[in-house]
Amino acid sequence: MPRLTKVLVANRGEIAVRVMRACRELGIATVAVFSEVDREALHVQEADEAYCIGPAPAAESYLRIDTLIGVARQAGAQAIHPGYGFLAENAGFVETCAAAGLVFVGPPASAIRAVGSKTAARRLAREVDVAAVPGTIDPLKSDDEARRVAREIGYPVMVKAALGGGGKGMRLVRAEAELESALRMARGEASAAFGDASIYLERVIEQPRHIEVQILADAAGHVIHLGERECSIQRRHQKLVEESPSSFVDAAMRERLGAAACRLARAAGYVNAGTVEFLVDADRNFYFLEMNTRLQVEHPVTELVTGIDLVHQQLRIAGGEPLAFAQADVRQRGWAIEARINAEDPFGGWLPSPGTITGLRPAAGPWVRDDSGVYEGYTVPRFYDTLLAKLIVWGADRASAIERMARALAEYRIVGVRTTIPVLERIMADAEFRAGHLSTAFMDRMAPTLQAAEGRHESIAIVAAVLAEVDRLTRAALPPAAPAEAPEWRLGATAGWQRAGWRR
Amino acid sequence: MKFVATLGGQSHVVEVAPDHGRYRVTIDERVWEIDARLRGDGIYSLLIDGRSYVADVSVQDGVTLVDVGGESYAVQVEEQARHIIRTRGGAGGGHAAQTLTAPLPGKITHVAVAVGDAVKAGDPLVVIEAMKMENELRAKGAGTVAEVRVAAGATVNPGDVLVVIE
Repeated sequence: MPRLTKVLVANRGEIAVRVMRACRELGIATVAVFSEVDREALHVQEADEAYCIGPAPAAESYLRIDTLIGVARQAGAQAIHPGYGFLAENAGFVETCAAAGLVFVGPPASAIRAVGSKTAARRLAREVDVAAVPGTIDPLKSDDEARRVAREIGYPVMVKAALGGGGKGMRLVRAEAELESALRMARGEASAAFGDASIYLERVIEQPRHIEVQILADAAGHVIHLGERECSIQRRHQKLVEESPSSFVDAAMRERLGAAACRLARAAGYVNAGTVEFLVDADRNFYFLEMNTRLQVEHPVTELVTGIDLVHQQLRIAGGEPLAFAQADVRQRGWAIEARINAEDPFGGWLPSPGTITGLRPAAGPWVRDDSGVYEGYTVPRFYDTLLAKLIVWGADRASAIERMARALAEYRIVGVRTTIPVLERIMADAEFRAGHLSTAFMDRMAPTLQAAEGRHESIAIVAAVLAEVDRLTRAALPPAAPAEAPEWRLGATAGWQRAGWRR
Repeated sequence: MKFVATLGGQSHVVEVAPDHGRYRVTIDERVWEIDARLRGDGIYSLLIDGRSYVADVSVQDGVTLVDVGGESYAVQVEEQARHIIRTRGGAGGGHAAQTLTAPLPGKITHVAVAVGDAVKAGDPLVVIEAMKMENELRAKGAGTVAEVRVAAGATVNPGDVLVVIE
């Protein structure tokens, strides 16, 4: 397989920018695609070429396989990187790429089929002797079957989309009375998000930790793992804070987790980067949850502790290169934490907060990484997910990584949309979090105690609010400024726009 | 310039006297000397007695949101004259009706109530899909559904009335 020289990135937001950065570092030209509302998105500006692929709804743009393949061919790209979400775990898309002579930067369709559906993955886990959470193996046929199975495994149960991920199409059911509406909402979300309404049931492990293992596999059959990430800090199954390593995992357990993950990947015929997720109970028993056949949102924490660039590896593996290192070469050093900055209002029911970012000052300084998809003046559209940026820090140990994250969050300023930053700051200050007492129930405990303010800066807030009003009145009284010249970049064609000049 | 700033249900009279990039601000008779730099991006630098504060300020739906020192405040600011006119003659108050409006743009995926239904606080009323998430909007208090103005599949904008409860 030839080395890749031009890659189409079939995604948007921070992950598209992340992938393009890796491409540029490897001397690979990049092709962006964008929907009609994403003309001003950052990923369009970071690419060498960019093409409009349709209206705002993802189903009419980012999920249009035929359009994406057409653009890739027209632009002369040899490969498509799917990022995460959208078509990243769609086996049909992988096959269509292959039929069109395009390399898919990810696993083969057969591996996605083997583990992509959660029910198939559970069957595979049983074959290679990896324990899975007790529940149904096959998708549920009816509400009646769901009721019967739920009674068998005992409440509380979790309703999950067979093709799910990121908490979509997933509902906790504590009693039979809640089952019907949970099934309806899970099916609705599943078919909207994944185009498949299949769902299944699992027993709920109380207060578990969510620990996952990063694996890398090349086409020659080498499979290695890059240690674990702990992602227990979640709200409604959306991860908020992730770290690597996990304070709950010692060297012996890491080896067992890693071996189980590699066994599963091998059995699936897996190639490229993937993640095996486990639920871990208080006695350190781990249960296979699912395999994510793509790059994860939280991949940077693994990169910071191992020094291995996962997107570089993805591109090299897709270009046919063998892994350049073995399991024994992988070392974890220090501690990394990631915090997700979402456009959500944590003090207003966590509702999404689309709008224009009027002010933005990202955090910087030693061992701080900002993987962002936005910029000052950018309008966050309402059509896509709420992730604006990921803030990732490294420290020599967990305590110093936490202090660094607290410092970086205090530095990070976003004005115009509400964000999760204030909650992330409170998580860093939380005694239980600092002690490493984590579980997926952490946010359920913390959320009700969250208050927008404790009154420490009430007078400053009044001063700032009144000065803002004075400023507004003063500006309104001034004669209007001469209209600025129309910036010429706004006059460019929508489709086929290409950046001028070269980038080093 | 005199203003009334309302925060957490409490109103404060605030007087501001600009003085060459500095401001003399009197809140309920306490005087603050402030060196303020008000940037158009909403990130304000305030120096008060040598202490440095950075406040993020934005206005949404007539409320000024201020983030400072890891805390978020919602402050209602009006000119004092306007405040006096608005509050004098007190317009009845005590509206028993609850109006559920769309908090953000999105698509209605489910309507859980019909006209005449009795609801209590916390009951789900409408599910709105926005930014890939289904968000359940719940009743703030008990009452009877008087109007349902949307159906599943409808696209709504912020402020659109969805359900009226009496």
